[in-house]
This record gives sequence, structure tokens and C-alpha cells, in this order.
Amino acid sequence: MKQEQLIPDEWIVAYAAGTLTEAKATLVATHISFHPELKEKLKTAEDIGGELLDSSEKASVSNTLFDKIEAALDRPYSSEKQVSSRPLTLEHIMPTKAAPAPLVDYVRLTGHQPKWRVMGPGLRQAKLCKGENGERLWLLKAKGGTEMPKHDHNGQEMTLVLQGSYHVGETRFCVGDLEIAADHIKDHQPMIDEGEDCICLVVTEAPIKLKSMLARVAQPFIGI
Amino acid sequence: MYAEHQTIETPHYNALTQTSRQCLSSQRAFHDQLNVKGRHIIAVPSETLEMLAAQVAKERSKQAFKKLFDHFAPRIKSFILKQKISDEAAEDLTQEVMVTVWHKAHMFDPKKAKLSTWIFRIARNKFIDQVRKQKYVEVNVDDHIQFVEADEKTDTPVIQGQDKKRITKAMSQLKDNLRTVIELSFYQDMSHSQIAEHLDLPLGTVKSRIRIAFQKLRAELGDY
Repeated sequence: MKQEQLIPDEWIVAYAAGTLTEAKATLVATHISFHPELKEKLKTAEDIGGELLDSSEKASVSNTLFDKIEAALDRPYSSEKQVSSRPLTLEHIMPTKAAPAPLVDYVRLTGHQPKWRVMGPGLRQAKLCKGENGERLWLLKAKGGTEMPKHDHNGQEMTLVLQGSYHVGETRFCVGDLEIAADHIKDHQPMIDEGEDCICLVVTEAPIKLKSMLARVAQPFIGI
Repeated sequence: MYAEHQTIETPHYNALTQTSRQCLSSQRAFHDQLNVKGRHIIAVPSETLEMLAAQVAKERSKQAFKKLFDHFAPRIKSFILKQKISDEAAEDLTQEVMVTVWHKAHMFDPKKAKLSTWIFRIARNKFIDQVRKQKYVEVNVDDHIQFVEADEKTDTPVIQGQDKKRITKAMSQLKDNLRTVIELSFYQDMSHSQIAEHLDLPLGTVKSRIRIAFQKLRAELGDY
């Protein structure tokens, strides 16, 4: 696999430090989960965080803090994660392949079951989250052989392949590969490879600019 | 494969007991001393913090927990205070982190992570959950190493102390401009673009500095 289809190190450091937005953190965590090499890097980045914590100068804590904590130890403990009691899964989203663990965890944390909706010919989308400044996390499903609508970008677009494959020009993106399409990129036109449906996890920072009149008319309704 | 899997999944306190049998004699003596005369020990060397965590998990020892509190609570609070929140909020979060340490101690495995890294992850996630109100999914960075690290000789907690010194040394050897971008990421919770704004640098420069700093740290830390 080419290096550029793995996320650059500064993103791993940002994930470890906890500075990514919810949408990007979910995509980056899911991407890392595919690659042992990236997991090793994340382990080191989190060790750096641990060391920075451990080497912090000691702040003064109030005399009553330990007593308050001790009193809390015997109270029933509920995890901070509000995991839904409903058995949320991604089986209906990816019926033929196990969805990556961080993505499944994310859906459980949100408590919302994503649903496929028609986005265009051969295209389905399932929305996962809407962040600040127009940032969105969503799933894309495209039938094998589909030409994606040609578009320009106003912001960065990150695409992680979960199933199937596609290519842009001569670069092929397969399961676990990440494409980061920079701001202001022109005429971006991914082509889905023939065969099984291609399912991708996508973060878009701003609405993309579709090139065809029909696609532009449809865009407000499909929400990309 | 299955047998190796079983070995690695053994609850950590059993692994630690097993490890202690294999430790250097001085370590064994210290471990015995900790068990028999633990009440008389005031200063706790860092390599024993993992043992205290094991006592919290196995024996639900509040005495061991108090020692973990004495070491970590002032550092957690100091670390959180760097994120520009009030003293009171930092103390409340410190309380939550320490209560989580108590309840999740059985999930800490010294074979897989350093205690400071494990506590850093808890603190990071609490901060994101409570202050930023975001969901931040985790990656299980250890699931791929269970077959390659099954050799028990690699499991001594002594390694944790050595690694800690290596990270401290590696951080101190970074040039100021490289250390700054790492510290702003972890201490100030700044995104790449916020760091760029703060230091009045182009975004690309910030990203490449983080990349270079991280590569230098990884190179220094070697193959642990």
C-alpha cells in the first residue's frame, strides 16, 4: 500500500492528544483500526501523552479531595459512555462485512441507528453526525461501476474505504485506505470499481460544488 | 494461536504475580516488602505504581488507591488546568478520573500499556466528554500484538520505568520549536489550525513540525 493512503503522523498525534472534532476523530480512529502500523504509532503518541501527564508539576489539591473520592468509590458506578440499551449494530449498513469496531462504538454512543437514503443514481448515504462549520460525518454506498458526480471542494474531504474499492485517476483506494482531498480541489471524480458495492466513511468540511446542473438542483435535497 | 491468546487474556494481576516470580531479585524483594510492609513506604518509585494498580484491581485496596491518588491526582489536575478551565472544574474532573481508575482498575493490563498512558487516556476522554461535550471513540491499539508479544520475558513492569525515562529524555532532546507544537497539542488542546494561529505560522509548517517531532520521538523510543 502506498504511504499516502495511510494518514500522516500529525493526525495520529492530534487524535492521541484529543484535539480532533468528533467527525474526524471517528474517521481517524476507524482508519487506524485497520492498520497495525498505525496502531503502533498511536500507542507511542498516547505514551507521549502519558509521559506529559506524569511529568506535569504537581498542582495543589484540596484537603478534602481524597475524602470526596473515597466517599464516591462505594456508590454505584456508571460508565461515562451513554451506550444505548438498544442493540445498535451496523449489520443493515454493511450486511456482508463486519463493520470496524470504532465505527460500531460510535453508533452505539450516539444512540442513533443510521439509515441508507437515496442520494443519486447508484448512490446512497447515511448521515452520522453534523459538526460545527458545516462539518459532516456520513457513510456513502455506491454501486460497483458508478461514476461519482464530478465536483470541486470548498473544504477538505476525507474518505475511508470500508468495503469495495474506487479509483481517482490512476490511484486506487481499497479497504482501509484513506483519501484526503485538499481544499479547493477541482474536478474531483472518483470512479467506483466494478464488482461489490463500495462503502466509505466520509468527512466533509463544507458542501462540495457539484458540476452538473442536475446534480446542483438535487444537492439541497441530498445534503452533501 | 489459541493458547497464546489465552495467555495474553489472563487477568493482569495473575500476570503480574507471574511476572513478579520472574523479576530480578531486587524487584522481588521490593515487591515482598510492598506486600508485607507496605504501610511504611512513603515515597513510591514509579515502577511500583503498576503494582499498586494491581492491588487496587485484585484486592480492592484503598490503601494502594490512596498512593495512586497521591501520585496521580495532583498531576492530573495540573494537566487538566493547562486546558484553561477553572480550578474547581479541574478538581471535579480529577475526581472523576480517579473514581474511574478505581472502577476500571481490573481493565488495566501492564503488559499492554503503561499506567500513565492508561490514566492519560481516561483523563483525555473525560475532558472531551465533559468539557467539549463530544464523543471520542477509542482504538484498541493492543489487539494486533497479542500473538507477537506472548513471550512473558517482555512483560516485566520494570520496563515501564525504563520507557518512562526514555520518553522524558527524548522529549528533552527535541528542539524548542518541535517540543512546543507537541506540548500545545497535548497541554492546550489546540488543533493544528489553532496552533498555526497561536504561533503565527502557516498550517503546513505546523503539520510538518508535528510530523518531524513525532518521528524523532519514535526514533528515540526505538522498538519498545
